[in-house]
Amino acid sequence: MTTKLFGTKVPRVEDDRLLRGQGRYVGDVFSGQDALHAAVLRSPHAHARILDIDVEPVLDVEGVVAVYTYDDLEDAMGEPLPLLIPHPTLTHGRTQYALAKDEVNYAGEAVAFVVATDRYVAEDAVARIRVRYEPLPAVVGIAASRAAEHLVHDDVPGNVGARMEQHNGDAPAEIAKAPHTLTLDLDVERSACTPLEGRGVAARWDPDQQRLQVWSSTQTATGVRAAVAAKLGLDLRAVDVITPDVGGGFGVKINHPWPEELLVPLAAMRLGRPVSYVEDRREHFVASAHERAQVQHIEVGFDDEGRLLGLDVMFWHDHGAYTPYGLIVPIITSTQLLGPYKPRAYRVVFESIYTNTVIVTPYRGAGRPQGVYAMERTMDAIAAYLGKDRTEVRAVNFIQPDEFPYEHGLVFQDGRPLTYDSGDYPASLEKIKQLVGWDEFPQYRKEMAAQGRRVGIGLACYVEGTGVGPYEGAHVHIETSGKVKVATGLTSQGQGHQTVFAQLVADELGVRFEDVEVVTGDTRRMPYAVGTFASRAAVMSGSAIHLAAKRAKEKALRIAAEALEADVDDLEITDGVVSVKGAPGASISLGTVAVLSNPLRYAFDEASKSATQFAVGDPDKPPVAPGEEPGLEGKDFYSPERSTFASGMHAVIVETDPDTAEITILKYAVVHDCGHLINPMIVEGQIHGGVAQGVGGALYERMVYDENGQLQNASFMDFLMPYVSEVPETIDIDHLETPSPLNPLGIKGAGEAGVIPSAALFASAIEDAEGIEITAMPISPSDLFTLREEHR
Amino acid sequence: MRITGENTIAAPVQQVWDALLDPRVLVRTIPGCSRLEETAEHAYAMTVTAGVAAIKGTYDGTCALSDLHEPSSLTMRLDGSGAPGTVGATVEVSFGDNGDGTTLLHYDADAVVGGMVGGVGQRMLTSVSKRMAAEFFTQVERAITDPSQVEEVAPATVSEPKGDRVFTPPSRPPGSLNERSFLTGIAVGAGLVLLGVVAGRITRRV
Repeated sequence: MTTKLFGTKVPRVEDDRLLRGQGRYVGDVFSGQDALHAAVLRSPHAHARILDIDVEPVLDVEGVVAVYTYDDLEDAMGEPLPLLIPHPTLTHGRTQYALAKDEVNYAGEAVAFVVATDRYVAEDAVARIRVRYEPLPAVVGIAASRAAEHLVHDDVPGNVGARMEQHNGDAPAEIAKAPHTLTLDLDVERSACTPLEGRGVAARWDPDQQRLQVWSSTQTATGVRAAVAAKLGLDLRAVDVITPDVGGGFGVKINHPWPEELLVPLAAMRLGRPVSYVEDRREHFVASAHERAQVQHIEVGFDDEGRLLGLDVMFWHDHGAYTPYGLIVPIITSTQLLGPYKPRAYRVVFESIYTNTVIVTPYRGAGRPQGVYAMERTMDAIAAYLGKDRTEVRAVNFIQPDEFPYEHGLVFQDGRPLTYDSGDYPASLEKIKQLVGWDEFPQYRKEMAAQGRRVGIGLACYVEGTGVGPYEGAHVHIETSGKVKVATGLTSQGQGHQTVFAQLVADELGVRFEDVEVVTGDTRRMPYAVGTFASRAAVMSGSAIHLAAKRAKEKALRIAAEALEADVDDLEITDGVVSVKGAPGASISLGTVAVLSNPLRYAFDEASKSATQFAVGDPDKPPVAPGEEPGLEGKDFYSPERSTFASGMHAVIVETDPDTAEITILKYAVVHDCGHLINPMIVEGQIHGGVAQGVGGALYERMVYDENGQLQNASFMDFLMPYVSEVPETIDIDHLETPSPLNPLGIKGAGEAGVIPSAALFASAIEDAEGIEITAMPISPSDLFTLREEHR
Repeated sequence: MRITGENTIAAPVQQVWDALLDPRVLVRTIPGCSRLEETAEHAYAMTVTAGVAAIKGTYDGTCALSDLHEPSSLTMRLDGSGAPGTVGATVEVSFGDNGDGTTLLHYDADAVVGGMVGGVGQRMLTSVSKRMAAEFFTQVERAITDPSQVEEVAPATVSEPKGDRVFTPPSRPPGSLNERSFLTGIAVGAGLVLLGVVAGRITRRV
């Protein structure tokens, strides 16, 4: 191979198409075809009994084809939606029905489903359905849930879905005998993924093939396929799920099946016509998922140097009205809270509790931002207490480079031991200090103060378990044209999978990058897969693709060696041509090798003539030798024993306006370690996007529920996403590469990193600027202004 | 959400009290009210059309007055729902004699606004509802001072013996105060206020 693409800034092959408006999203499926459109009637109440649903007024509306309520759902469709990730401590897990049965538990819960000739008619029809509700008291917020004056579910005492404890050592005992102790009480509010494309699903039932085809804007095509098949009583083989272009996921689309992912296929089957549904923005706010809200209580004991002797954490996690995604988010908080540190003893207890609000499932970072917030706030508090520099306190607690693999003695979200595979935290700290100018900051602060300006610096460290199992697979097919078709089952939401996976294949096979085409998230091409979450695509599918390409290459070389009468070890592949090293004349193209790999009875073109049974192979052996298969393909799976742990540190300098309390970012620096970089440009893009989202989460975004469970800012008018003007103009990035020993490429995940430390980071910097303890995030200028008033 | 406020009406307490308990006045003065049906004594079913920003729609609901202490206070319970959302409110209304022939109406509404209106127009609700309340009171005042307006409103149907009378307002010229208020106002918020004042409107979605 001539140029190695691994590690180079290959431009994204996706962008030309996407930027020209040529992307094909779920909303584009069936365009120009005679498809039906669906709309959903949603509960206006956060908590109510359904007394009666009157669909009569809808039936005569011209253009309405069907109306469904719970009573129309049969068999498995009438059962609650699946609890995807059960856990022994989730003793009171509850999930909703595809359409509400008897009771609604959040404003936005699906109650009825209308299918009509177009969306306008469907929405008009929804407006005519009359539902009589008996409103019940709504439980909103962690405090109300804990008080349990009212219950979300009658059969869940105290509103507690799960209580989980993990410990390593005896934290309370260590704290009791520690020279110093501190207690912190912290809050994090709700936010949400808010991808620009909301959820959407389209389905077509083919009566001739007895086959259901479903397109979904999902992060897991195989998951949706299995759920649809199970719920609709179809054989798995009768269901295809295809993920077209997806306009952002950030976690919310990993939960499945959403009610519409079942109702649209159901309607398509019953009506024998294609049906499409795309949620609108308000629906995304009130009927998709949120995340983040936690209340944390931390007790810590430490020595004179700030070493953590005992860390005892209790937190309450608001999981909304139902628990379809199990305890993944709070488990991640409870384990990833430890970051790069090694407390002598650690205990964490959490309660995952019900409220009459939208469900909570992972949002980019998935519990890590809250964990990092808890830990980094603690580090800052210790530094303040001891009068030490914040970086010093962190440094004395770091796991050292020679201590890997480092076992924390806890169980991670994948059910495996929480064991860090590699990292170099002291090196990262040095880099971030240099990058942001940590040591020079006191002087800078002085200069700014002289101008009447108030600045602060903050730092936050994190470790992120990435590349979570159980597995991903890949199929690599070298066609007789020499083109390479690659399929992996997990889905893409804009990350650049087509680019980086093609880089891996081009490198391994020695083919031109342009000749590699990658398909993701299509169950027809790769029916075995898990999904896109936990910063796992590069690690999992990247490794699987690498291994599958290796298999295809081995076979290509074996056949080429025979054809060229050479030894396999003497062959090399460059630009799709296999040649004997040092003998440029002896060569064969991969396309020809592909022809030779498939003995034919019938010749249909010039190339295939050379592959007929009279032309190839040893006449004394079967045309397809034992242990061989026809075709030049490679398939393989990658299944790691455990997650690989990326890490990083962010630092920020903020300015706070002495009068208006406006918060401005002056400098933002990132040191990031995700092992080897396949494409540094894409990694940096991920970091940029993550930082932007993190700025939003720390300074702007929150879900404003009133006491009745009504989301008051369910639009982009009131929910503040950062514009480009709020995101730092430049983000200084430095990479550290400590390869993972767990996968063949030495890589770690990078997708979520940018957003993880934001809340902790900005709290640290604003606290530094203001000299006021920051215990609740996000923080707005008004919040800061109020804090100033309180500390006056 | 809680909405409180007060308005002065240029009429004596007893007259205001009578007006607010008169469905013919109510149907004429509640912005967007197209139908008011007396279902029992001091209980009404009603239809109100209202819009908050882009969210417009028709709401069906009920209004019931209780704890009537003539002419000083009453409690109003309102429930309404329509495509854009739902409103449920309990409104305490008190009538104070200003001693100068005018009446001070004080209302204190505890409302739950649900559905689309709750999510989109919430931040405008309080101010819009107060403005609509003021406009409502103005209409009431006008109805008192110019009874001929009310005379026009006759029960559309009369069914004995329960007295299920249905009232519909006369057609209003475009641009009249009521028309304007429902176009510009947040139906829900206004509804609450109005409700508080009188028999209510169901417009409560914001």
